[in-house]
Formats: sequence, C-alpha cells, structure tokens
Amino acid sequence: MDITRRKFIKSAAMQSAVASAAVLFPGITFGAWKNVASGGIEWKKTPCRFCGTGCSLLVGVSGDRAVAVKGDPNCSVNKGLCCVKGYHSVQILYGKDRVTKALVRKNGKMVETPLKEALDLVASKMQETIKSHGKDAVAMYGSGQWSITDGYVSSKLFKGCIGTNNLEANARVCMASAVTGFLTSFGLDEPMGCYDDIDQADVFITWGNNMAEMHPVLFSRMLANRKSKSHVKIIDLATRTTRSSQAADKSIIFNPQTDLALANSICYEIIRNDWVNWDFVKKHVSFHKGKTNIGYGTQDHFKFKDKAETVDFEAYKAFLADYTPEKVEKLSGVPAKDIKYLAALYGDPDKKVTSYWCMGMNQHTRGTWINNLVYNCHLLVGKISTPGNSPFSLTGQPSACGTVREVGTLTHKLPKGVVMKEGARKLAAKIWDVPVENIDPKPTYHTVEMFRALDRGDIRFMWIQVTNPMVTMPNLNRYRNGAKKDGRFLVVSEIYPTPTYDVADVVLPSALWIEREGFFGNSERRTQHNEQIVPMPGDCMSNTWQIIEVARRMGFEKQFPWPPETYIEDIWNEYIQFHDNPKHRMAPYKELQEKSGLQWPYVNGLETKWRYNAKYDPAAEGDSFDFYGKPDRRAWIWLRPYEPAAESPDSEYPFWLNTGRVLEHWHTGSMTRRVPVLHRAVPEAYVEINPDDADRMGITNGAKVKISSRRGSVTMKANINGRGRPPQGMVFVPFFDESYLINEVTLDAFCPISKQADYKKCAVKLERV
Amino acid sequence: MEKPEHKVDQKVGKVFLIFAGICIVALPLIVFSAFSSEPQEMEMGTTVAETRDMDFDDNGKAIFENYDRISKDYLEGTSTGRTLSEYYSRRQFAGSPPFIPHKVKEPDLARVECLACHARGGWTQELKINTPITPHPEQVACRQCHISMTEAKLFAENDWMSVAPPRLGRASLPGAPPPVPHELQMRGNCIACHVGPGTVAAIRVEHPSRGNCRQCHVPLTNAQPFSRKRNTIN
Repeated sequence: MDITRRKFIKSAAMQSAVASAAVLFPGITFGAWKNVASGGIEWKKTPCRFCGTGCSLLVGVSGDRAVAVKGDPNCSVNKGLCCVKGYHSVQILYGKDRVTKALVRKNGKMVETPLKEALDLVASKMQETIKSHGKDAVAMYGSGQWSITDGYVSSKLFKGCIGTNNLEANARVCMASAVTGFLTSFGLDEPMGCYDDIDQADVFITWGNNMAEMHPVLFSRMLANRKSKSHVKIIDLATRTTRSSQAADKSIIFNPQTDLALANSICYEIIRNDWVNWDFVKKHVSFHKGKTNIGYGTQDHFKFKDKAETVDFEAYKAFLADYTPEKVEKLSGVPAKDIKYLAALYGDPDKKVTSYWCMGMNQHTRGTWINNLVYNCHLLVGKISTPGNSPFSLTGQPSACGTVREVGTLTHKLPKGVVMKEGARKLAAKIWDVPVENIDPKPTYHTVEMFRALDRGDIRFMWIQVTNPMVTMPNLNRYRNGAKKDGRFLVVSEIYPTPTYDVADVVLPSALWIEREGFFGNSERRTQHNEQIVPMPGDCMSNTWQIIEVARRMGFEKQFPWPPETYIEDIWNEYIQFHDNPKHRMAPYKELQEKSGLQWPYVNGLETKWRYNAKYDPAAEGDSFDFYGKPDRRAWIWLRPYEPAAESPDSEYPFWLNTGRVLEHWHTGSMTRRVPVLHRAVPEAYVEINPDDADRMGITNGAKVKISSRRGSVTMKANINGRGRPPQGMVFVPFFDESYLINEVTLDAFCPISKQADYKKCAVKLERV
Repeated sequence: MEKPEHKVDQKVGKVFLIFAGICIVALPLIVFSAFSSEPQEMEMGTTVAETRDMDFDDNGKAIFENYDRISKDYLEGTSTGRTLSEYYSRRQFAGSPPFIPHKVKEPDLARVECLACHARGGWTQELKINTPITPHPEQVACRQCHISMTEAKLFAENDWMSVAPPRLGRASLPGAPPPVPHELQMRGNCIACHVGPGTVAAIRVEHPSRGNCRQCHVPLTNAQPFSRKRNTIN
C-alpha cells in the first residue's frame, strides 16, 4: 500500500466519477485527501465567510489545521445545515497560491518585501500624497466582507485622524439602495423582521431574488415550512427563470425595470378592492412624494438631492391611476390576472406575507424607489413588524450590515449618524479622542465617483481591502485604465492573486477570517463573533492590525493604543459606545463569544426580533406599532413612478444583459475557485441564452459567442437550457470568472439616491464567433 | 513518505487484512446475492412516505417509522456495487456532502428529481447500480449541498488535509457491537447507509432486519477514559 497507489485511486476515482457512477475499486478505506497527523477533532464556532445569511459553522480543528465543517445546531439561522460553499469553506485557507508575504512593485516588478518595510512604505506614501495633493487625494475602499473591527479602525483613521471622507466599501454597489430604501421609508436602516418569519409566513414573494442559489439555507427553510403546511405558497417574481422559479408554486416573469410599475399596480388593486388595513394606515402611515426624472449618474460629478413633499391618501390614489393591471400588463409583460393574484395575496387578511429581495432590487437605477414601493405593498395592508409579515431585504456579504451599514464605512456616514450633522461629528470626535474639526462635514465620493476620481487624478492613493474591484466595477475598462495611470499608488490587502492584485503597487498579506478574531453582522441584525481558530500563515496579518500599524506610523498612536492580545475586544468595547441606546444597543463581547450570534437592539439581555412593534421592541412606545425612525413616528408610503432603465435594448444592441452569481461561486471567485469541488462543478463562466434566440441565431450549446456593448466586449461559451433560462431578448452572465470580465460590458449607471450601480440592465448585441 | 502517514497506512493495512478475511468468508454470499438481487426492481416501499426529521436521538420515532416501511427484500438486499474508497473519493472530509457522481439534467427541478431515487433506493437501470439512500430525506433542496462535477482540472492547487476516515471494526471486545464512529448530524438514520443493496459493502450490517440499531451501537463521542476528576462540572 504505497502513496502511488493512493494517488492513482484518487485521480481514477475523480475521472470515473465524472463519467459514471459504477466504477469498482477494492474495498480499501482511503479518503480523497491527505491525512493530518492527529486523528482528534475539536469543533469551534464561526459565522460562514460567504453570503449575508450568516450561517453559523462548526469548524473541525486538528492540530493547527481546519479539517472539516458542520452546521452549528445552536444557531437559529441555519439550525445545523449549510450549503455546499459553507461545508467546504475552510478549504479557502489552503490554496497553494495563497499570498503570505508582502510584495512591493520595484521597477515594474512585484518583489517580496519584509512586511515592516511594506507598511513603512504605505504610511510614508500616504503622508507624501496628503502633503503634495491634499487629504482628499488619499482613499480607502473596503468591503462588506470586512470584519466589524476592520471597518471601525478605517473609519477612525480616515475620518477621525486624517480628516477625509474618502472612505467607501463595495457594499455601496451591493446594498446602498436597501439602506436608502430603509431610511426613506422608516428613517432607520436594517430590517424590522428576522428569519423566524420564514417559519411563520403563509406566502413568500421573492422579488428578483434567486434564493435557491444565492441564499440556499434560507430557501430550504422556506421549503421546509411549505412542506409542513400544505397551504404555504412561494411566488417567484423575476426577469429570468431560475432554480427558485422551478421550486416556486408560481413563476412570474416581468420585463426588466418594470418591477416599479408592478409594485404600484399591486397597490392599485389593493385599494380598488378595499383590502387596505385602514386602522393601520390611519395610525401608522404617512404619504410622500419626491422628485421625478432623476437621471442615471453616467456623467462625472453627477449630483442629485431628493426633496420630500408630504401628500395625502387621495393624492396617492390619484397617482396610482396610471398603474391599472391592464396598463401594466402591456409594460411589464405580466398578465393582469397575475398582478391581481399578487395583490390578492398581499391583500388577504388571513395570510401572513413575507417578501424577499436582494441584488435584483438593489442593483437598479431606481433601487431606492423599488425598495420604497415593495414597502408600500406591506404598509397598505399592515403586514409588517409581526411574525411572518415581513418585507425583508437580504444581503450578499457576511458583514455588509455589520461593518458597512452599522459602522458606517461610507463617505457620508459615521458609526452613528452622518458627517453633515454636528451632533454626529461631536459624538465621534469624543469617542475617538480627536478634535471635532478633524471630521469633515462634507461627503466626498461614493464608490463609482471615487474610481472616476482615481481615473481623473483627484485621488492619487487608494488602499483596497477584502474586495476585487478590478473584476467588479461596472464599465471596468475605464476604471482599470484609471488605476494603472502614472502617479496612482494602489495598496491591496489580499489573500490570493486577483486582477486587483495585478494592478497593485503594494500587496499586504491578509489573514483569513478564522485565522484571526473578528465579528460579522448578518442580514437580520445578528452580530456574530469568531475567535482565532487556526494560526495565520507566513507574514499574514489581520486587516484591522494592518490599519493600526499604518495609523501608528502616521503618528496616531494615541487613537490606536490597543495591545495585540486584546485589540479586538478593546475595539468592540469602544465601538459599541456609538450604539448605546435602546434602538441599536449591541450585545457585550463576553456574550457574543459564547452565543452563535445575537440580534440588536440587544437590551437587558434580550434580542429584538421584530422592530417598531411595542410587543417585541423595547424602543417602541405605546401598545402597538411605533415607527420611531421618522419624526412623525409613521412609516412613509412613497409615490414613486415607473421610469425606464438607463440603457434599453435597441436595433443596434437588441439584448438585455443581466449579470449575477451561481450557487457554487461567491462574488469574484477568488476564494471559491480555489475549492476543488466548487471549481470542478462550475469551472468557467458562460452566457445563458434563450433557446429560441439561440435557434434563430444558429448558436448551439457550448458555441463561442461575442457579447458587446457600447463599452466593451467579451467572448465566451453559450449555455442553452442550462441552470437558468433568460426570456427572449435577454442574456445572463455570471461575474465570478476573471477570464471573462463581463463588467467590461456593463454600464456604470446608478440610482441617483443610493449611488448603487445597476449590474442587471444594459444593452448588448450577440455575435457567433 | 512522512512518518505519521506511514503509521496510518500500517493501520489501514491491518484493517484491510481483516477485511480481506471477511471478504473470503462472505464471498459466496456476495456472489450469490449479486446474481439474485441486482437486476430486480427493489424499492423501499411503493410510495415515498412522508419524510420528516430523522435524528438519532431527538426524533427517533421517525427512524423507527422509516424502518417499518422498508420492505424485507430491501433490508436483506446486498450487492458489491459500492466500495468505501469510492465513497470517500466523493468527499473532501469524512462527513462532507458528497458530490453527484452522475449526470444531472438541467434545468433541474430542485425539489423532486433527486429524491425520486434517493429517498427509496432500488436498482437503477439507467446507471446500472443500486441507488444509495439519503439519510436526510426531509431536506429537499438537495443541490444546495450536492453538486455535480463537470471538470477535472483545478483552478489552483490546494494543500487540503483532513483527519483519516474512521477505522472499521472498532469493537472493544471480540464479537462486541462496534460503536458509531462518525458524527450523527444529518446522518442519524442508520438504515439509510448501513442496510440494503445500495450501501457500501464494507459498512453494511449482517443483521439488517433488527430495527433498533441504537440498542447495541452507541456513539463514540469521547476518546478519554472515565475519570472522577474530569466528571465534575467546573
């Protein structure tokens, strides 16, 4: 029994597995893996590294290696189940091309450099840039995958110490419309409900959200609810047929962008049939309208500010007259009877309704509006803030909520409040121990504009952590060319080589999530702690500690005093002072250490499952609902019209291009592609084409197709009748594959309110190659 | 070769010898059963019964009910169609969800197709093998965890290691029932993997008609011997 034989069995088994199921080997117990020396396993809890669901994992540790994963049965999110990415997540630690040393570009070549020297260079380059070009010439671009402490120290360094608001995170292009949707409708960010709604609801309506692939653990919880109660229905509203449509009781396909009209039409029907919950509406809702014809932000220096005007119910009713099901059928392609059916589900007083959405509604040039409009559907019938009744905005990253939204790592934000408000600046200056004058009251650049500023030369130095913008920026050609221009200095904190790493001047090796202590915050206001479970390889360092090292080199020792043994706990204790009120109190460190996540507001040792309802929420006054986020203590219904997409198909570019993810890969695939089983399942990206379109154009499955827009083109294999099926006139491309950069084709138009780019709609043409 | 691995191989070798011995004794039976049972259509029941959480301890009733509806034919069915090495070659660590080793039609119906075969087992003419049964048929979004492979090459090499799969035959005394050597989460329904023609021959029990597995086979949760000191809550 030698190693050669083992290797043979491994490779042969792989090949046989691809070909057929029935290949025989002698009954010898070999695994498809190398064995660690010790046989014992110790299980340690951590949130999953991938999506925003926030499953808790138990990682099996043997010696200093992570060797296995199982679902954490103590966590109410996933109740012991994971998805295929979660089960294999710890394999991302062990890719052989892991970045473990600092690299510095010297004479055009990346050279391995002692970490201390690389950190010295980052600090001195930043100081130099500030001296020669001003403080607003340096920027940091972070991520919803940042641990909470990473985001907190970057805000303290950039906003508090350096004094620039040049701090953004990729969550801007992922979640910003959800945030502005919450703020405009309720005055406070993040959902009122929680995942317990999944076990309580009678009807699920998913808006442009392929949960079977993107939030699989929540989706299977929905299926389990449906299985246990025969009346439960899942309705999939989408622009393309997916696994979620197939599992749903009804799949409704609408034309891109017409979700705006559809939501208004549902409300029209609710009012026409008098399904309005008048008691709720009279006590807890007010009506408002904002500006219209608000533009698309495709020009540099685009500015927009909405202005709210209070109106009454009659004005709202008159506004909806344009959205009869019959009119909307023509626009959306959804039969009027299906619109009436949806309205009847929302309107039925005996049915508890939960709506889910994620990127389909957020990556939308009217993202804020469509968020408002789906809230309208719930508010008219009073189906909100009670178990099973929940308009629920899902997140795509493990700490988009925890780090970006709660810490406020966006240009206009502070950990509590916005930079424009004096009170918020004073509180931050006090907790941070900096002069209040340090904090600039004017926001600078949102993400797209920040990369435009880098291209223009207004920004000269950018530090990028835990994200891969050279794959994910829309209209990528412009921003990559900009980043490569002379006189730009890019620092990239990474774990693997990526296209962003390729354009870096300094690469800092980062520790992965379980190689350090940290916190994530998931979609349902749950904060989750993990301890350091395995050692970090080589010179790897947590992103938090990298920032602390640079801050100290820049002379901010006083603001970054924490010792390496306890810095995560110390930062947590400083950070939660910002949220020390019943509307947002965070759980103490010790309890987070023990529990598989705790939901805020965490008041008197209790989690808050449903906000704005006095029965569950300690911040709510009175004995029923209290939407305390708004000055009138009401939830706001908005009059938001349908407006077309920034770019629609025409005779030259006749197809819609839609982009997104697949189950197996997460974001740009820099982690999941290094997991053997995930890469082998989906080794490369492809373009999904409707079978009739393919037939008409003579495109066969696997044939090469060139997809071009006014901005760029990419050639890739056609996928017909694959996992997803776009309707005629649309193609879909997953964005995980750096060999096929579909974002060279997409458009950098964004929602003028949230500044979130629309990755789901632009016009392209197809050619057979 | 590194030392520890060599040791493991020696252990595996011993296990193999013991196993080979068993095989020689059992060979006539296996050959016989291969002829007698494989080509038949053999199902767990005529319909897939209502599936619910089958948990080793928390929901043991479901395990008994599941046992009740399995036909005697199926319980006693054997085949040589599946081996332990093949079983582990589909996993990244003992207990990870195995990948799908056969072709799957797209677009799939997320909730129906897999369980049509993998909830009840039996001979599949298409793949010419007895179907293995899932120990957790209550989970219906199968492809959330089980995915099919389309490519053998890797994007980047991975230095993955895990602990050795549990040894077979861990009975404390000769002839004593071996303990359950694996995690029970999602795998509490013994019959799914240890009984019938779709299972791995090396871990199939020779007394399949006894329905109360847990009366003899107990989980191995602690490798340490009893100690009065350790037994106090601190």
